[in-house]
Amino acid sequence: MEARGLGRTLPGEPPVPLVRGVDLEIMPGRFHAVIGPSGCGKSSLLYLLGLLDRPTAGTLTFDGVDTLPLDGDARAQLRLERFGFVFQFHFLLAEFTALENVALPIRRLGRLSGSAATQQAMSMLEAMGLADQAGKTPDRMSGGQRQRVAIARALANDPSLVLGDEPTGNLDSQNSARVVEIFQRLARDQGRAVVCVTHDPEVAAAADVRIHMLDGIIEKID
Amino acid sequence: MFARTRLILGMAGRYLVKRRRQTIVAVAGVGVGVGFFLAVSALMIGSQNDFVETLIDAAPHIIISDEIRSPSPQPAVVALPGGAVQVRGYKPRNEVRGLKDWQQIARAAEAIPGSVVAPSLSGAVTLRVGGREEALGIIGVDPAIQEKLGNIEENLAQGRLRDLETTQGGIIISEDLADRLGVGMGDIVGATSRVGNRTLKVVGLLARGRGQLGGNGYVLLREAQSLTAQPFVINSIGITVPDPYAAEEIAADLEARFGYKAQSWQERSADFLALLLTRNVIMYSVVSAILLVASFGIYTVVSNSVVDKRRDIAILRSVGFSEADLQRIFIAQGIVLALIGVLVGWGLGLLLMQILGSLEFNIQGRVENIPLDRRPRQFLIAGGASLFCAVIAAWLPARKAARVDPVDILRGAA
Repeated sequence: MEARGLGRTLPGEPPVPLVRGVDLEIMPGRFHAVIGPSGCGKSSLLYLLGLLDRPTAGTLTFDGVDTLPLDGDARAQLRLERFGFVFQFHFLLAEFTALENVALPIRRLGRLSGSAATQQAMSMLEAMGLADQAGKTPDRMSGGQRQRVAIARALANDPSLVLGDEPTGNLDSQNSARVVEIFQRLARDQGRAVVCVTHDPEVAAAADVRIHMLDGIIEKID
Repeated sequence: MFARTRLILGMAGRYLVKRRRQTIVAVAGVGVGVGFFLAVSALMIGSQNDFVETLIDAAPHIIISDEIRSPSPQPAVVALPGGAVQVRGYKPRNEVRGLKDWQQIARAAEAIPGSVVAPSLSGAVTLRVGGREEALGIIGVDPAIQEKLGNIEENLAQGRLRDLETTQGGIIISEDLADRLGVGMGDIVGATSRVGNRTLKVVGLLARGRGQLGGNGYVLLREAQSLTAQPFVINSIGITVPDPYAAEEIAADLEARFGYKAQSWQERSADFLALLLTRNVIMYSVVSAILLVASFGIYTVVSNSVVDKRRDIAILRSVGFSEADLQRIFIAQGIVLALIGVLVGWGLGLLLMQILGSLEFNIQGRVENIPLDRRPRQFLIAGGASLFCAVIAAWLPARKAARVDPVDILRGAA
């Protein structure tokens, strides 16, 4: 994924710039951490990269395809097939079990039959060490378990880009370390591009690339 | 596509199950609406059908009489078409009453498959018994043909139509008239017509409350010709056709061919039919309002669901569900509610019809049930209308669901 002069300004009097002139390259097999003070535009940049929000300036290409002209359905399809999101709060659907939550994107993609989708969702949970939690609804699981279910759901359709918005922000240090380890594995062992917005210095330290943001612009990349 | 529909229906169903109380109330609303729609429409249409059936059966479907709707042009007008001189003040020729060449008309009517053609002569007599006198229109009929029509025979409380053939001077009158004259079966009544006085014997009594049918007396055709001094004349041809609703078209055709006024049962009952139409408009307006109000329940459930599930909407959008998918999930909730409500309503409707159908009323000495229309058509109309209202009621809030900006929600939750 490549961003050139990427910007996002909220309309109003005066207009509020969230992200300004971002030039950025997200590379496969690398763990990127976006860091900076609160309100510097980290999450806004993540939503732009995840095609949840539309930029007001610049270009954004994914696998060589300009994403700006894509309509809502095409952007949704790209998110479904190629992107995986993990948020600070687990953001699981309360009415559905862990297994059903993970199976949702697989079933929506529709490439597997019902039973095969369930089987794949189960293997994702097993990979997260949550096979025994498959039948539980989120309210009967711990915070760490929920976040791992959310990661399993993000990986359900084998995405090439994984986006995390403070994924460890609500976890204790033990669970936080476990999530960081998973993110590292996703990038280094599985060759996925991982972008993670964080305040946590340990997450930033574990990343391959650190993107420092301030007032909506990239201050430095190291 | 099928897999996606299953997924969306499954998600809609799950959301509804979790909002059990609201779901039950909405389903009950639709159920009661559909149930009462069916009960009211069964009652109204049932009584209408019964009434129309009475109108159809009361007399032949088409009556050709010795009248013409507009006088035939005078010979001078025919001879000088478009002439500069207008002929006025001429004296029209007096026509002899009765249908000319009626056998030809009868043959044309008999050519319609399944039709029954009954020539008759109507006139008037005064019946006398003791000091009591009653004016009565009489119709001379051929019992063999009338038997096929069934309308007189079926409405006889006593006696048989064929008794007119075996009894010299036999007459069939209504029970009401018999009461007023103080006569019964087999009694002799005096009859005064324009040829003088005769005696007639009561051989049949028409049941009470038979409207138009009971307003006349029935005698043998040649008896009527004798009473009215019109030998070999008939002034009316009654035609019964297999499809009563085709009567209007057939009547128009016969009138165009022979010139005599041919009135279908629809034309004779135009006032009543117009009244029924108005009644139907009122009925459907009221029962549709019931269904519309029921759909408000669906609107409330789906609308609340959209508000409560804003976070889920944002999650699903981030996962890759499209705006249309989300709209479908909430519309599916409305459809599922309506489908269950319709099934409940059909059951309730059947129950209400069962109760209404079991009620018995004593009408002029006869025990009768309320006529009900239980045809599937009304069930389909109620189901279709409910589903339509449900889709609209669910679509309005579902549009909002599709327009939710996931970034606003995700940012707000963070």
